[in-house]
Amino acid sequence: MLCNVCNQNEATIHIQEIVNNNKKAMHLCSECAVQKSQNDPAFDFGGFNLAEMLYNISESQGGIPGLSSLSEDETADEEKKDMPDLECSNCGWVLSSLRRTGRVGCAECYKVFHKVIDNALKNMHRGKLHVGKTPGSKATNKSSNSMLKLMNLQKELDELVQREEYEKAAKLRDKINDLKKKINSPKPKKKNAAK
Amino acid sequence: MQQNKIDKLLKHDVSWLLDSGPDGDIAISSRIRLARNIQGLPFPTSASPGQLEQIQTAAEMALKKSAVIGKDYLDFHMSDYSVLERQILLERRLISSEFAKKEHHTSLFVKQDESCAIMINEEDHLRIQALCPGLQLFKVWEQIDKLDSELGKTLPYAYDSQLGHLTSCPTNVGTGMRASVMLHLPGLVLSGKINAAIQGVNKLSMAVRGIFGEGTDNRGNLFQVSNQSTLGESEVQIIDRLNTIITQLVMHEKKCRSNLLKNKKYFLLDHVGRSYGILRHAYTLSSEEALNSLSDIRIGVDMGMFNSIDLHTVNKLFLTINPAHLQKFAEKELSSKDRDIFRAAFVRKQLKNAKHKD
Repeated sequence: MLCNVCNQNEATIHIQEIVNNNKKAMHLCSECAVQKSQNDPAFDFGGFNLAEMLYNISESQGGIPGLSSLSEDETADEEKKDMPDLECSNCGWVLSSLRRTGRVGCAECYKVFHKVIDNALKNMHRGKLHVGKTPGSKATNKSSNSMLKLMNLQKELDELVQREEYEKAAKLRDKINDLKKKINSPKPKKKNAAK
Repeated sequence: MQQNKIDKLLKHDVSWLLDSGPDGDIAISSRIRLARNIQGLPFPTSASPGQLEQIQTAAEMALKKSAVIGKDYLDFHMSDYSVLERQILLERRLISSEFAKKEHHTSLFVKQDESCAIMINEEDHLRIQALCPGLQLFKVWEQIDKLDSELGKTLPYAYDSQLGHLTSCPTNVGTGMRASVMLHLPGLVLSGKINAAIQGVNKLSMAVRGIFGEGTDNRGNLFQVSNQSTLGESEVQIIDRLNTIITQLVMHEKKCRSNLLKNKKYFLLDHVGRSYGILRHAYTLSSEEALNSLSDIRIGVDMGMFNSIDLHTVNKLFLTINPAHLQKFAEKELSSKDRDIFRAAFVRKQLKNAKHKD
């Protein structure tokens, strides 16, 4: 079977899903699957919500029994139907809503559905731990200032290159790289035990 | 009363579109938006009407109290506005299309020069955006960072030490930040290199979208490049990475343009000249034809092929030829056919004025 997206490669990823007794099937080659999921989480393959698929894929990778949607046979579908829908006690949001909309209902949902979300996050983001701003902290003045400095240095570098003053440019480039390293080194964070 | 607010917006120039910024010939504007939620309240998707009202009140109070967007702001309760009026806000990129559809318990705060806007009860409790003309993401970050920190003193944000800012959609979790730059890339399109460029950018886990419509629609040769990942890197790291990629794109676009001018001068002149002819003389003009022709004029202006039209005239037309704006100017609802006629007359007049300026 050929991939539904490129129609060239053999489809190796088969996604089948049943929502309210409606069966949907999607066949992708691994290249297209990876590309689509990386490029646009909200990508819609002709009626297919990628958010939906992303969660389904991560569920299957996470090996949550009974929730795998890579199920080709009816028994697995039956099993899925019988699984009680996981619900957030804080806001009443259910797992099936998360899978349908790609959204959660409240902050607590992140804990309730963490198995599904944590796996999906791997496909969405470059890391698993927040290293950005913390609320309540002052504006990141220090880094803002460094950034302005960085911006000015970069402009200077462009000018040097344009004037073909390469020796000076090389020195400046090293300076810029040092500054970048300084800006980019995340503040040490205490690593909490895994959830 | 509400009409006055829309009129006020229309009277003022859009700073991010009409002021000059670095690399403004190719990078039209830089934008950063932050998704923020208030601790202890469910996200809008699952909130009850009562809770939505609570969120709205809390957010509005905090915005007024903290005065983070200054004194010259306009606040809109979306339920007071017609579909057409909301469409105008959408065309001005002050609200999202999802937000335009939501009537109840939604508000918008806009700085009068439109450099900053805050949506309340969109997908998240707060969607804060800041914009600057040209390529200056760091400057935008500096502004929005300050605003966010100030607001955070009044509003307790939903936050987790590992996942960062908690958002309705896990694709935004962490920094809650989407930084984007609007680029005009006709050189890459005309040279047939745009797809390769987009693929390259995608490989670096940045997204490229057309500005108008959905997905790969590239009317007007306008593209938006933005970060995808919001977790695992700091805001500065993300912006730095995006900035580097955009700088490269700008360089490639410049190269393509100068190659075209060198090797295919008459192809380029003809392309621009024909589009100028259409805009000056057509009597019906679809939005697609107008955007594409304006794009051609913009290259002409950038390359100094006209001295009678400036970049701002073209930038402004990119905004004002959109359906809701036209209908506002016409002071009535227009069918699609009538809009095309009105649009043609509007553009003819604008370009005629522009020419007489010089």
